[in-house]
Amino acid sequence: MKDELFTMMGELPAMSPEVMARMKEEANRNLLRMKHFSEMVMNPTEPKVGPTPRQEIYRTNKSRLWRYESRRTIRTPLLFVPNLGISRPYIFDLMPKGSFIEYMTQQGFDFYLVDWGVFGEEDNGLTVEAAVTKILPRLARKALESSGASEMSVLGYCMGAPLSASFVTTHPEFPLKNFINMAGPIDFAHVGLFGKWLAPDVFDVDKYVDTLGSIPADMVKMGFKLLKPTMDVSTNLNLWWNLWNPEYVSGFNALNKWANEYLPFPGEFFRQWVRDFYQQNKLIKGELVMGGRRVDLREIRCPVLAVGAKEDNIAPPGCVKPLIDAVSTRDKEYVELPGGHISLIAGRGASVHCWPKVASWLAARS
Amino acid sequence: MADSPSQQLVDMWKRQVEEGTQAWLRMMGQGPGAAPTMDPQSFWRPFMDQGMAAWSKVMTQGTAPSPDLMTQWKQFLDQWIAAWSRVLEQAMGTDAFAKAMGKQLEGFLNASGPAKKAAEQQIEVSLSGLGMPSRTQVTALARHLAQVEEKIDTLEDKLDRVLSRLEGTPGRSERA
Repeated sequence: MKDELFTMMGELPAMSPEVMARMKEEANRNLLRMKHFSEMVMNPTEPKVGPTPRQEIYRTNKSRLWRYESRRTIRTPLLFVPNLGISRPYIFDLMPKGSFIEYMTQQGFDFYLVDWGVFGEEDNGLTVEAAVTKILPRLARKALESSGASEMSVLGYCMGAPLSASFVTTHPEFPLKNFINMAGPIDFAHVGLFGKWLAPDVFDVDKYVDTLGSIPADMVKMGFKLLKPTMDVSTNLNLWWNLWNPEYVSGFNALNKWANEYLPFPGEFFRQWVRDFYQQNKLIKGELVMGGRRVDLREIRCPVLAVGAKEDNIAPPGCVKPLIDAVSTRDKEYVELPGGHISLIAGRGASVHCWPKVASWLAARS
Repeated sequence: MADSPSQQLVDMWKRQVEEGTQAWLRMMGQGPGAAPTMDPQSFWRPFMDQGMAAWSKVMTQGTAPSPDLMTQWKQFLDQWIAAWSRVLEQAMGTDAFAKAMGKQLEGFLNASGPAKKAAEQQIEVSLSGLGMPSRTQVTALARHLAQVEEKIDTLEDKLDRVLSRLEGTPGRSERA
């Protein structure tokens, strides 16, 4: 009877136990994929970000200075200056065991974060100059007062690097101990696609700002998505592939939340940023003037570390490295680490390559 | 096997992908100062063949995909996406693309500018008629508040400097 029922099927090929085990594992993974996918769709939960405890030290308009809890075993405090606008700063404190700030505070650093805030239409008159000569000095001073230290290290990330470099060089009275540039463009002649798209012959920044007022978050998002049009496809493909892994899913949820929260640019800030930095490349040429003072990178005489990311298409290594030749200190180092603009500082790879390097370099000089 | 329907399908798809890429690159290369034509074969050939071999195996063997094949398929997709990313990056790095994008933005500004202004004026008039504050008024109020806060901060800075001088210390404010 059995033979009559199963005459349509041929002999099943014999499978080795290893292949059987792997097929079973893949089947389990597919079940987990379906389970996690249905949870994501039917019962989405807001990911908890920013786990490291912190205290607001100072607030001015939209900007805030945060101090993070730490054992503070390292004498010299650290002021972290990220980009203004574009994205939220909780990427640096994304989740437990996935946070640059958590790592640095565990190493004993007294960590201060400049949170520029979310600017509205009423802030369209805010310029780069105002950010560098008014907001940043005030926050830096408050950080120094709060720490009780006599000197401070400054770490600028992305746009925060040229902004903080402009601040420290035009405020020589600020007691700068060490300076770190992490993925921050200094020579905008090698800044990649953004440099091409924002060139003065193809992009009229004055018309753009005069028409729109501020640069809406959607336009900022569009610009960054265009840099890597296949990013969403590969992200979703990797999500599907790793959907069986609950750790991956929670990491994805947190990163996805951040990746979809773009911030607008104040109009005048955008105008000066594009014109003076991208189009005229004034910083590396020594032509930039802030608050009546020339920004001269040779004024940076403290130890300097510049960190570039190999696959960075926002601030390619070619635009980060020139800081090393521009400063006059002898204690200077450039390192190029694996990763992109964000994965340099956030993610599994960052915890292996970037964080230990930055922490050890800074600790030895603090 | 070379003439099997599945193999024909694979060959046809491969031809379509290559022709599509060529057409895209020709489009980006049009206009004065166009970059020399890029050769998509240099991107595609190394792993298209590998991927097509895996795909053919799946189609012709008639068995359920093994975990190894799934991993290979994922690798093929990763490489395909990476290739597309490189092609698009090259295309978007051309002067022609930058000019086209600039023209499109300008067109958007030319269209949206007057429309935005007209809409704002209309809304202002309507809200004024209803006795309600407009966006402009609320923004102006917020701007005044920010300016007042800035003045207070400046006064605080000056006070800090004066107090530091009075105390005879190299002031906290003078340090920064």
